[in-house]
Amino acid sequence: METSYETIIIGGGVVGSSIAYHLSERNKGGILVLDKKFPLSGTSGSTQAWVWVHNKTPSWYAEFSMYSAELYPYLSKKIGDVEYKRTGGLSPFFNEADREKALLLAKTYESIGIKIKVLTREEALEKEPSLNPEVAGATYSSIDGNVNPFRLVDRYMRAAKKNGVQYSTYNKVTEIQKLPGKFMVVSQKGTFQCKNLVLAGGTWSRELGKMVDITIPINQLRGQILVTEPLKPFLNYTISGLRQAFNGEVLIGYSMEKEGFNRATTLEVMQETANLAVHYVPSLRKAKVVRAFSGIRAMPEDGFPILGRIPGVENLFVAATHSGVTLSPLIGTLMTELILDGDTSIPIDRYSITRFNNMETK
Amino acid sequence: MDKSTIICRCEEISLEEIEKVISNGARTFDDIKRLTRCGMGPCQSKICNCLVAAAINEKTGTPFHEIPLPRMRMPISPIKLDTLATNSTTFSSVKSVLDEVELEDGKVR
Ligand SMILES: Cc1cc2nc3c(=O)[nH]c(=O)nc-3n(C[C@H](O)[C@H](O)[C@H](O)COP(=O)(O)OP(=O)(O)OC[C@H]3O[C@@H](n4cnc5c(N)ncnc54)[C@H](O)[C@@H]3O)c2cc1C
Ligand code: FES
Repeated sequence: METSYETIIIGGGVVGSSIAYHLSERNKGGILVLDKKFPLSGTSGSTQAWVWVHNKTPSWYAEFSMYSAELYPYLSKKIGDVEYKRTGGLSPFFNEADREKALLLAKTYESIGIKIKVLTREEALEKEPSLNPEVAGATYSSIDGNVNPFRLVDRYMRAAKKNGVQYSTYNKVTEIQKLPGKFMVVSQKGTFQCKNLVLAGGTWSRELGKMVDITIPINQLRGQILVTEPLKPFLNYTISGLRQAFNGEVLIGYSMEKEGFNRATTLEVMQETANLAVHYVPSLRKAKVVRAFSGIRAMPEDGFPILGRIPGVENLFVAATHSGVTLSPLIGTLMTELILDGDTSIPIDRYSITRFNNMETK
Repeated sequence: MDKSTIICRCEEISLEEIEKVISNGARTFDDIKRLTRCGMGPCQSKICNCLVAAAINEKTGTPFHEIPLPRMRMPISPIKLDTLATNSTTFSSVKSVLDEVELEDGKVR
């Protein structure tokens, strides 16, 4: 294995692998991805994987998410079938009072080109007949959908490898040294040298930041998901809270708990999640849960992506975000532009790590 | 075992498919599961678990005691959502997406 690369990416999850793939489209060879375990062992392997746009706030973040969702159809043509399905997204509400908020959302987002319909009870039930008849209404947008996260990361990796990217897995990075014009990346399996270094360590970003004396303010937020046995296709849309996968399984959950890196599943949240399921879609009562899992979100302190250069350290980049499945095609595209061209086609200044005032080097 | 031997009956995954992902770097049952769906079926790997460990051992030489076991999670056997549900409609850690839409001065932020 070579020891010198143009670019090294630490972290082979959906974010790191997307960057590797997009970079490799323009820059054959000279790219190494290091992962302490195997890609998908982090957050990217325990996610709902909605490609979700329509009720992200504020509007500039929704707009950013929309550009990424728009890239999905082309991406799946390029890297192969990732079971991406633009089902349209439905967020039901059960209180008439929420309609006002929904209408405000629709009005604001019209100006940025995200079409949101606020459905009446009848319209919502017509679209998704399995919804609880007590629903008051729903917001709906055709831009939303979902993807198979396992296939997505696998296809990013395969396409990247085909373009010459090397992966070194079960290889933890333990130390980073900055020397003039290059980095020395010390890992369990040896020391590698590179010009550009990208930190894409997901929930472990703080740890990676420490190696270069910066604070990457990423916290952990647990989510628990229930998976049903495969059911006949019956859900037409991605519903915020549950979706039906290609093989018929329904994935249910939208829970948030501050539990650090603890990936346990708990009965209490499983029960709440079951309540959500039967509240939204009563016919799910009869469905059997075959599996429960939990994942740890990499949640930036203010909730928004941390993307771009790390100021003060030449050729050092960071990409750490929640909603990395939705955002991965765009993040891969823009980070590639930044690394190779020094600038991005869509501004990412807003996502710079400099917005946190505690990031100063030590 | 023959290459076409079905290792995971629930998901119909053959030895060949499992060997392929091992040669791509997968080392644990969970790595293999995420890439092939082996172990994600109704029996939740009760049947295929040992066969996969044998394949890992065969391909990589990793001794059995060093191959991590798949993570066992609830439910041990399939359970109806109806049984799991408590029918409460107050939620503490489970959220609704629209609740997260933030308003500021009567406008969406
Ligand atoms: C329950 C749940 C539901 C979600 N639902 C959605 C959704 O519907 N839509 C959506 O878009 N997003 C969703 N997300 C978020 C999304 O899954 C994540 O944003 C995304 O997977 C993050 O990808 P990543 O590559 O940054 O992280 P990871 O997949 O965790 O990758 C980081 C990698 O870095 C490696 N690494 C870390 N430290 C080191 C080191 N020192 N040396 C070498 N390697 C290292 C790790 O091994 C890991 O593989 C959800 C998350 C959860 C938990
Ligand atoms: S045999 Fe593999 S999950 Fe049942």
